[in-house]
Amino acid sequence: MSLLADALEHLVRGIVDHPDDVRVNLVTTRRGRTLEVHVHPDDLGKVIGRGGRTATALRTVMAGIGGRGVRVDVVDTDR
Amino acid sequence: MSETLQATDVERQDEDAAPEETGDGAAERSSGSTEDLLVQEGDIAGDYLEQLLDLLDYDGDIDLDVEAGRAVVSIEGGEDLEKLVGPRGNVLESLQELTRLAVQQETGVRSRLMLDIAQWRAGRRAELAELGKTTAEKVAADGERVRLHPMTPFERKVVHDAVAAVAGVHSESEGEEPQRRVVVFRQA
Repeated sequence: MSLLADALEHLVRGIVDHPDDVRVNLVTTRRGRTLEVHVHPDDLGKVIGRGGRTATALRTVMAGIGGRGVRVDVVDTDR
Repeated sequence: MSETLQATDVERQDEDAAPEETGDGAAERSSGSTEDLLVQEGDIAGDYLEQLLDLLDYDGDIDLDVEAGRAVVSIEGGEDLEKLVGPRGNVLESLQELTRLAVQQETGVRSRLMLDIAQWRAGRRAELAELGKTTAEKVAADGERVRLHPMTPFERKVVHDAVAAVAGVHSESEGEEPQRRVVVFRQA
């Protein structure tokens, strides 16, 4: 299961300015499983992409490799 | 290599991304340094994807090439790769998008790299070329325009090319992504 988190972490690390700041946690709630993506605040725009395009691509790939039904949330750590 | 990169290229991430439709003519005028850049693109993409396959424990051989002015990365291997293609190639398109971003992250230049997995594009290309040809012939005979179903930029380019090979018709794209589709007209 952490395989999904590892794969997502790798995909995100490759597209940001601060790869060492990337963390992906798999959290389970009553509503299901969520992969929480934490990145450097300056990289939020890169991971989300124009109109959410990059976040959508990440979700599509995760669904393809067996994470169907797993949410992918990009967490805004700047709050 | 880096002295050939221009600062403006770094800022181009927000441009409309339909690079497949920009025609390959300009790209074919590539200089030697462009060739070097494309080889570098392939290397970066190959590393990014190979590490992904390793993490997933999928079998796959990665082949790097440069064709018609763009880097081409092909992965062939076991049945697991079908998951990286997905229904109608949607996972493949997303993985290509991410791979282009990973390349751009390293080179600072927007990438037009093409990713193919399990020869999906090759098979789809043949289907679409046939669709483009038969549609063009029908339009040439009947005179009535035909709107095809929504397609990705890659798919539309294959159809446009097939239509262009038939006399007396032309094609355009209309609508917004992801609903953008090819329309074939009889020439006036």
